[in-house]
Amino acid sequence: MNKFALAYREQQQLFIYEKTYFTGTLLKVGGLSTLMARFAVQFFWSPLIAMGITVMLLALSAYLLWASIRRDRRDWLSLLTGMIPACLIGASLSDNSLHFDYLTSVILVEAALVIYNKIIRTKRILWGVLMTIIIYITAGPAAICFAVSAAVIELSKGSRLRWFSAAYPITALACGYVSYLTAGSATLACALTPAFHYNLDESAPLLHWLGWLAIPVATAAALIRNKKLFAPVALILFAGAMTFSIMVSQKADKNPSITSYEYEYYTANERWDELTESCRHHVWSPGTANYLNLAHAYKGTLTDNLFRYDNRGVSSLFFMPEEKSVDVRVAHIMYAMGNMAAAQNVSFNAMRSTEGFCPAMLKMNAKVELMRGTYDVADKYLSILEKSLHYRKWAKKYRQFLWNDQAVDNDRELSTGRKDMEVSDGFAMLGNPIDELMKVIDANPDDKKAMDYALSFLLLSKDIARLKDFTDRYWGSGALTVLPEYAQEALIFYSEYSRNFENVDPVSLEWCLAHGVAQNTIQHFEAFQKASLKSRGAAPSGYKETYWNYLLYTQL
Amino acid sequence: MKRLAILSILIATVGGFSSCSRDITVTGNIQGQPSIYPDYCDVTVPENIAPLNFSYTGEEDCALQVDGRTIFPQRGREFIFRRSQWRRWMTGDAVSMKILVRKDGKWMSYDPFEIKVSHERIDPYISYRLIPPGYQGWQVMGIYQRNLETYRQSPVIENRMTGGDCVNCHTYNQRDPGTMVFHARADFRGTFVIKDDAIEKLNTKTDSTISALVYPYWHPEGRYITFSTNATKQSFFNHGPDRIEVFDSASDVVVYDVEKHSLTWSPLTKSTEMFETFPSFSPDGKWLYFCSSKAVDNMPYNYDQAHYGIYRIAFNAADGTFGDSLECIYDAAAEDKSASFPRISPDGRWLAFTRHRCGNFSIWHQDADIWMIDLESGESRPAEAMNSDEVDSYHDWSGDSRWMVFSSRRDDGLYTRLYISHIDENGHESKPFMLPQKNPKDYYKDLMFSYNIPEFMTGKVGMSMHRISTCMRKDPGTQVTVSR
Repeated sequence: MNKFALAYREQQQLFIYEKTYFTGTLLKVGGLSTLMARFAVQFFWSPLIAMGITVMLLALSAYLLWASIRRDRRDWLSLLTGMIPACLIGASLSDNSLHFDYLTSVILVEAALVIYNKIIRTKRILWGVLMTIIIYITAGPAAICFAVSAAVIELSKGSRLRWFSAAYPITALACGYVSYLTAGSATLACALTPAFHYNLDESAPLLHWLGWLAIPVATAAALIRNKKLFAPVALILFAGAMTFSIMVSQKADKNPSITSYEYEYYTANERWDELTESCRHHVWSPGTANYLNLAHAYKGTLTDNLFRYDNRGVSSLFFMPEEKSVDVRVAHIMYAMGNMAAAQNVSFNAMRSTEGFCPAMLKMNAKVELMRGTYDVADKYLSILEKSLHYRKWAKKYRQFLWNDQAVDNDRELSTGRKDMEVSDGFAMLGNPIDELMKVIDANPDDKKAMDYALSFLLLSKDIARLKDFTDRYWGSGALTVLPEYAQEALIFYSEYSRNFENVDPVSLEWCLAHGVAQNTIQHFEAFQKASLKSRGAAPSGYKETYWNYLLYTQL
Repeated sequence: MKRLAILSILIATVGGFSSCSRDITVTGNIQGQPSIYPDYCDVTVPENIAPLNFSYTGEEDCALQVDGRTIFPQRGREFIFRRSQWRRWMTGDAVSMKILVRKDGKWMSYDPFEIKVSHERIDPYISYRLIPPGYQGWQVMGIYQRNLETYRQSPVIENRMTGGDCVNCHTYNQRDPGTMVFHARADFRGTFVIKDDAIEKLNTKTDSTISALVYPYWHPEGRYITFSTNATKQSFFNHGPDRIEVFDSASDVVVYDVEKHSLTWSPLTKSTEMFETFPSFSPDGKWLYFCSSKAVDNMPYNYDQAHYGIYRIAFNAADGTFGDSLECIYDAAAEDKSASFPRISPDGRWLAFTRHRCGNFSIWHQDADIWMIDLESGESRPAEAMNSDEVDSYHDWSGDSRWMVFSSRRDDGLYTRLYISHIDENGHESKPFMLPQKNPKDYYKDLMFSYNIPEFMTGKVGMSMHRISTCMRKDPGTQVTVSR
């Protein structure tokens, strides 16, 4: 289990304290387990709490199974077998395509087993059938685990009616088939297998079947009366389950998507220092570069750090995936770049998930609607956030901006976004991101993040002629009163070499000095030129973190 | 003791419900009509509509007087009417209502308003799609049916059955819930025709057509369905009230023969020089209406140069042939406007359409309004009483031509809601009323879906969602051919 993978689940739902949400969830097949899962996951806004709650629920699962199969309170070997499903389920939860109600449905099954095996004394077959139906309705097809386990228990008791316990699995299968026929489940596999808890039409890995299978197996193992036989069986099963779970968890931790969960967690919570640190410790990829640059953009240090790590080309700033419309990373970057229409386009499509709403995207939409001045829609989004536990405070804070243009204009973030939206007519995400960024700067040259992104785009694309035009146009205004060092290096390089090319508008040293290039950058460049001559074509040492090194020696 | 406790609870409960009978003394008037949500002041409703519950949107304590009786809100400021009580009111010609509010300890009365009752009954069901108004993401959506006489909504098909596919463009033949067509996109894509208690999957992309079949309309005899084929995309505006432009870079109109599984068309409905879309048949089946614009290149940059007018061409259902000339019914381009969704009233007298600045996808054009053409005189005019400052678009006629349901963004500017308007025999529309809900204020505020493509129905779709989704998942589909 990875704590960030668990925390990511919190961004896939919004638990709403409202009657219709409760009833709407409960009235679906497995509704109670879904509601329990969503209730637990709402607290996953902290990775540590997410881990803590998950471990507690797994412990509860182990305890309930133990309580249902133990002979007495000192039956510690049964506890080992009771922990087997919990081990496997814990490993399964590393897979975020598996919904969290996989765990809560098993808890309901195990609670039902306790009731069946320890409390019910008379009319057991009737109760067994009835409980199978109730468990199917409340926990979904995990009822099959209950049915088989209860049947195993009944068979072991040797009562006169024990063979009638075959009715339990038959009832569970019948419930599944009815659910399928009445569209309670989309497919027969969903109605009868762990696929119920998995993304529809994706095939659930074997591991998720093992979690289910372990319940009747552990139940059956605990029924072995010969202690000499039971002890090695229990130990072997437990050791096998533990080893398998650890191996699966370790493999899952190496999954690249785990790092994106971590990045997304820090981004959604605006923890830029931690995001910076996190990116530095993971394998370099365009996605990592995007998040790292995003963190620096929010910290105001993007242009100061651009060549201190391995940025290559503009995809380091913004890597466009094939399916751009629901990528939360794209929404965050577009928002930081001031391209509010594009940010909203993406965040709107990413706002809805199969488990409800993505809170980060809902918040972004609420903010963009406030910027637009479409307060009725903003009110709608804030009202929904207010019905959640964790986002209530945030939503109440933003409520002050509703129908209050002056308050929006006085808020730094919202007023910046509002000015950013005053770009010239046209479509978002249709052309080159840099062209759209230029329109944002045109509309609002005071937007520091957009300005830094624009400079970074020009530097990383090695388009120093356009950088010169850009500086010519914006120097001294808005957010460009201090020219970043790398931009100075680019301009002094341009000044030196533009004189040697035709059709290039040359600039003088005086122009450079008048546009923010410092005297020591000029001296530094002279030293670089000398070092380059000495190195005879190779990159001179001591200049690795300069723009000149990137421009001349880094291949895109 | 226990019985006494139960009796006390019962008395308290009954007392709560009968709080309606408490009388209050009104000591003054407030000029003007009250602010209520939804705005049901002076609307006309059919006698068989579900109760029009509403809320007073002011901050004061409030009550409602109807026919001299005082009713107190059940929760907050919501007036929720009992069905039996509502039915009694619907037997008359109008219900007069007066909102009372308590200011400084005194009860004051707003000017009364009426809910006028029409005894021309409305079709009992409507069907619509519920979809987040973003169009690219459709994790959750579905086609639903709603009983207008109650608040009950049930799914026809939800995309949770097919892994989040897009389901769209549903339509029924003459409001018959047993004769339906809709499309699905993505993994289980196809066109699905429900007829005679059977469902059939069609693969409708052919080498001769520019796309799979898109906007449908049934021929009244049930043998043909006309469709457009469209190369459609959408782009998101940088700013402005219109957020999205959905545009075609090519489109045609074709007719599908349900029996032969084949497509046919006229060169006049499938031309590279023109964009043709939004087809519909006249109620007598003799005419095929559609929208058409001169083809525009370099879309979406030139999106505002597309101006669609309304045209018609004769259609012979006996042999599936077309006339040899087009007749322009409404030349929108001459007014620098566009027209969409021509829909003729079942009595053949009126043609309703959406008029907007440009393009064809009016639901994203804030200026879109519903207009009417008198097919006897040829005169066109806006349906003033129905329109608002926000988008008013997709519309459908009831079976008796006296009611029109349409979608509008007037509620909050983004999420489309359904409104129903009465149309009298002279084509005069009344102020529309929002689709009633049990708790409309909470319901519409919480609803994160837009209503899309409302259509009247004479009853409920009989085919189960399981059967429809099984066909979507398992049927390989019949390939549609071209016969010309």
